[in-house]
Amino acid sequence: MEKIVNIDFQERERVQKDYKNTNQAKKFKLTKKQRDYIFVFLMLLYPVFQFVFTWAFVNIKSIMLAFQKGDIYGYEWAGFDTIIKVFKESFSSPLNTTGVSWLNNSSVIILNSLGFAFITLFISLPLSLLFSYFLSKKMPIANVFRVIFFLPNIIPVVALTFAFKMAYKPDIGYLSELFKLLNITDITATTKYPLSQIMIYIYCIWAGLGYNIILISGAIGRIPKELFESAKIDNCGYFKEFVHVVIPMIWPTIVTLVILGMTNVLTLYLQPLFLTKGEGNTYTIALEIWDSVGSKDPKSLCEAAAKGLIFSVIWSPIILLTRKLLSKKYEGVDY
Amino acid sequence: MEKIVNMSQLEDRKKSKPQNIGYKSVKWIVFVIFTFYALTLVIPFVWMLLNSVKSDADFTKNIWGLPEVFEGKNFIEILQYKVITVSGNEETVLEMVGWSILTTVCGTFINVFLSAVSAYVISKYNFPGKGIIYGLAIFTMVVPIVGTLPAQVNMMETLHLDDSFFGVMFLYSGCFGFNFIMLYSAFNSISWSYAEAANLDGASRFKIFFKIMLPMAKGPIIACCILQAITLWNDYSTPYLFMPSHYTLAVGLYELQSEFIGIGNYPMLFCSVIIGLIPVLIIYTCFQKQIIENTNAGGLKG
Repeated sequence: MEKIVNIDFQERERVQKDYKNTNQAKKFKLTKKQRDYIFVFLMLLYPVFQFVFTWAFVNIKSIMLAFQKGDIYGYEWAGFDTIIKVFKESFSSPLNTTGVSWLNNSSVIILNSLGFAFITLFISLPLSLLFSYFLSKKMPIANVFRVIFFLPNIIPVVALTFAFKMAYKPDIGYLSELFKLLNITDITATTKYPLSQIMIYIYCIWAGLGYNIILISGAIGRIPKELFESAKIDNCGYFKEFVHVVIPMIWPTIVTLVILGMTNVLTLYLQPLFLTKGEGNTYTIALEIWDSVGSKDPKSLCEAAAKGLIFSVIWSPIILLTRKLLSKKYEGVDY
Repeated sequence: MEKIVNMSQLEDRKKSKPQNIGYKSVKWIVFVIFTFYALTLVIPFVWMLLNSVKSDADFTKNIWGLPEVFEGKNFIEILQYKVITVSGNEETVLEMVGWSILTTVCGTFINVFLSAVSAYVISKYNFPGKGIIYGLAIFTMVVPIVGTLPAQVNMMETLHLDDSFFGVMFLYSGCFGFNFIMLYSAFNSISWSYAEAANLDGASRFKIFFKIMLPMAKGPIIACCILQAITLWNDYSTPYLFMPSHYTLAVGLYELQSEFIGIGNYPMLFCSVIIGLIPVLIIYTCFQKQIIENTNAGGLKG
């Protein structure tokens, strides 16, 4: 009998201990929400760290560099000195090698850069819209065209610019014969302003048309077929259908392409770099910044940062405003 | 406009051809323009391919004709050709191909994987700051902030990553961009009930992500990989600035241009361009449908 009592006592003690342990474990057990947060933290740790370094830190540092001046000893605070100096130099250069009296060597850079927005808005985009519309109208071998038109987007820019350059190379290019027909006998004409810059614009239209056509014809393909049928019932011709059905329905894509064209003003540098290395007065704002960065000299880095800041402050609000105004035109369309 | 009074009239209208005959001729004019434009895109590369297998002498006397003798050794020679990099290293074109493959494969894997991780977490979990991260990802895509290159160079110098493969990978690992947006919508469209069922079976959060969600988003992930691989293969600026001791093919091609145009050896130059094109053309031939569809989707998101 005594034994049984002992066993009972031991059992009760064990159960009490277990209960106590479970209670303690419960106290330290994480809730589902807390475990979710730990999972989220672990998964986003590197992406957020990388973002902070390469985007947030770089942008803050860029603004700081614009307010500094650099020399071989390092960087020091310069207030607005660098910005004012760069701003003045960006518009008034004593040099003029453009051959155009009102266009000095600094203002030609701004004009060249703005030209990229102009050709997108007034040449590339209207042509792409027209071409895409016809591509959607049971054009023979339309799919073959689509595949070929997309080629410039997968080919390295360095190879594509080379292929383009070869076309008008005086000794071997097939376009050099065309130049002769147009009475351009000077074989170095394409290296001189303004033809040097016009060739870059032609390249950009040639290489960029395909991408625009793919995007726009994709957007046209998403328009409900019933709308085209209704237009047909109402006896709409191609022109009316294009203006009153297609344009409003693909408006978000058009806005995107306008904005992309406008950002080119500040970001385009590879094309002039590969086609002319900036010779023949073909520098753009971005190519100037690229050149300064290549030298890795503190003075040039500060001035390049200041140039970037000045033109971002001027041009970015214009882009955002354009986007806002254009988006208002046909609100609520999403094809 | 004439009124429609019965269904047969309506069907007639649907079947009727546009009134203006001029439309058809406009369509054919556009067809001719399209053909011309397509030829201008294709012919330069076909011409380069044909001339890449000519000897230098054959090319000089016969620029536009077919090769008299097929000089396949041009390709072997160009792969062994040495270029002196900015930092003074000697590198063969074959080594450049190797660096291009390495940066493209690793960069694509890192970028798409991290984009998938962030897109999944932000689309499927609620946590403080989620909206801020998503908003910033969109903001960086919409607002162009230029002139940050000097600060980027400065930062990479501070981190001692200004001439390193890992520096390039660090920059390629930025995952709040186009791929993030694409994968965010892909994960958003996958039902959460799969994860709940797996959770009931005792699967952890990591297991749910790797074994259930990633395989379910396989299609969009492959599409992102293809586009990213093409972008990185063609990238010039990042390897040029942050890996100057080792050229990738995109960087080397530009240097080769200056050298070969200087000595007038075009066939060798064409060989290097063709080598640079082969991988992207193979990828494009195999996956052109996905590439075009995803570019369309990207444009739509913009």
